[in-house]
Amino acid sequence: MFGGTNPNKDVEVASPPDDTVSALKFSPPSVPQTFLAAGSWDCQVRCWEVEASGKTVPKAAQSMGGPVLDVAWHDDGSKIFMASTDKSVKCWDLASNAAVQVAAHDAPVKTCHWVKAPNYTCLMTASWDKTLKFWDTRSSVPIMSLNLSERCYCADVDYPMAAVGLADRSICLYSLEGKPAEVKRVDSPLKYQHRCLAIFKDKKTQQPTGFAVGSVEGRVAIQYVNPTNPKDNFTFKCHRSSGTNNGYQDIYAVNDIAFHPVHGTLATVGSDGSFSFWDKDARTKLKSFEALDQPLTKCAFNHTGQIFAYAMGYDWSKGHESYNPSKKNFIYLRPSFDDLKPRTT
Amino acid sequence: MGRKKKKASKPWCWYCNREFDDEKILIQHQKAKHFKCHICHKKLYTGPGLSIHCMQVHKEAIDKVPNSLPNRSNIEIEIYGMEGIPPEDIKEHERQKTGGGKASDSDDDEPAAKKKATSALLGPGPSTVTSGILPTPMGPVPPGMYPGPMAMNPMMPHFMQQRMMMPGMRPLFPAASVSVSTPSKPTFPAYSNATISAPPTTSTSSELRENGDVKPPAANTCPLVTATGAGSKIIHPPEDVSLEEIKARNAKFRPKPKPDAPSTPVSAPPMIAPSTSQAEINFQVAAHMSAAVAAARQQAMRRPMPMGMMGMLGQVRVPVPVSMPVPVLPVMPQFNLMRPIQPGMLLPGGMMPMGAMFPGGVPGLPMMQPRYR
Repeated sequence: MFGGTNPNKDVEVASPPDDTVSALKFSPPSVPQTFLAAGSWDCQVRCWEVEASGKTVPKAAQSMGGPVLDVAWHDDGSKIFMASTDKSVKCWDLASNAAVQVAAHDAPVKTCHWVKAPNYTCLMTASWDKTLKFWDTRSSVPIMSLNLSERCYCADVDYPMAAVGLADRSICLYSLEGKPAEVKRVDSPLKYQHRCLAIFKDKKTQQPTGFAVGSVEGRVAIQYVNPTNPKDNFTFKCHRSSGTNNGYQDIYAVNDIAFHPVHGTLATVGSDGSFSFWDKDARTKLKSFEALDQPLTKCAFNHTGQIFAYAMGYDWSKGHESYNPSKKNFIYLRPSFDDLKPRTT
Repeated sequence: MGRKKKKASKPWCWYCNREFDDEKILIQHQKAKHFKCHICHKKLYTGPGLSIHCMQVHKEAIDKVPNSLPNRSNIEIEIYGMEGIPPEDIKEHERQKTGGGKASDSDDDEPAAKKKATSALLGPGPSTVTSGILPTPMGPVPPGMYPGPMAMNPMMPHFMQQRMMMPGMRPLFPAASVSVSTPSKPTFPAYSNATISAPPTTSTSSELRENGDVKPPAANTCPLVTATGAGSKIIHPPEDVSLEEIKARNAKFRPKPKPDAPSTPVSAPPMIAPSTSQAEINFQVAAHMSAAVAAARQQAMRRPMPMGMMGMLGQVRVPVPVSMPVPVLPVMPQFNLMRPIQPGMLLPGGMMPMGAMFPGGVPGLPMMQPRYR
């Protein structure tokens, strides 16, 4: 079922990381060029410029004291935040190339997100130490620290909403208006460990209105914060082997979900090495692609929705026995604007 | 649970669970309630018969038996009176009649395959809208977009469901009854049934029991990642811990202490975690892991103990790498934010050729030393 390193003939990003990509983010709209930042298990965060032709130019790299688990762009595009298993988050100023610690936890930091509110800005970090912290990056003490019932596994921020998925499969929703405050705790619609979470916007108001969570059991749940109809919420299966393998259907983890910034459709990547595009409103699959020979760990759209980036590398889903350090890791780029257009019915 | 007392039970309707005194009346009921064409009101004899009639005469696809319980709406099953009812449903019905069984299982006892068939049938038609799948231009619903058959809350006592499902109370399309039964609940009736699609006694629970683990198969706590269905396998380490945590335990990925980090914890900077809490966390993590791993190891899937774990147990403290011994420098706000990023700015000296920017495998990238150092 696995077919080569690049069966879909996508554009390969130059000088890819030496180990699995754990975070993949495009630069915000505030910078005229398009940059791609990737954090990886080789303790590095790399930054490329993506030219209109699709050509990628490595620009800079920064290292952390441990594998990088998440990266986030500052809204002005001048800095990248890097969360690591070394329990710290550093702010990498791209202009000066200096990295300064801006956050600390008692355990590896799983996620970091830059929050841009009209009246404040801060960095939100969530960790396996079961806390969620907000930092103003100039002080070594957090502005706010909230306890979580479990370790954080995934999170997303789209002002004024933040959602944090925990190891006990609950999802905590926060309102960031004024100051961060917990709004509610939602029990998961999924029965298996959460792996990724992405907030989506309402089509009309362009305000965050719900989120998608993906689990290790090849399933994604679309969940509205305040569903007008309970049936607006639904789940769908994905990243499963179509045939049976020795009498078993193989079910793979959904490693990442990304919403298209213009169309509101979404992409999922999985441990099966495949990626698919979906329309949650029409509840259809828009497109699926030939699987790669290694898991896909992360994906991202640039802010215009023209470019879809996805990273291939071993994600440990078959245990450390299946880790083959000689296998190269890749990041691919693919034009995505047309493929993610919702179907007109 | 299954009491063997053979009591001559009354004939009952598989589609709506209603009981009748006589099988003749049951057949009349089925023809009038379940096998009647909603367009020309012709009474057919079976579900497939109705489906064929609608397709051939009216060119309309019917995906569900009208007025049926959500999990009994399969139009492909040929049932006539008491004939053709799947044996496990008969058993289940008897169990409920005797009153001893768990009524809550009633929705879960349907074989997974049958449910899939039901949902796979969802095609264009009025009821598809209510059941959650919109007709697609592609024709058949893509396999991934299966939201599961609508069902009621499985925890709801069975008699309640029966009352709610009384024929005559509802419009033609059975899916509409779902919203009636759970009017304001933001729960996921669709999902709750879909995941327990496998019989509750298979897979998870039996596997645990085989291995001598007495833990009840709690649906909401899964200490292990095991598939619900007997025919599927989740590609994930058995331990229900994120892949990142498992990977991070590996010695290769341990955070490396900074060469300039002091070997004893510096007390002043608040960035450094006190060593006690550190040890505590390590311990907690280790305890959590060992419990899960102990269970995991009993599984048939033999999996060696991750090498990182033992180390964690014994380890008291990992020096927290700090970027500076003093509290973090204030980030100056006067950066030219819109300044385009150019290689010369990023690299002190600005003379590094593009190609050499990522010398593979050289950690630390010496030419990118922070300027302030």
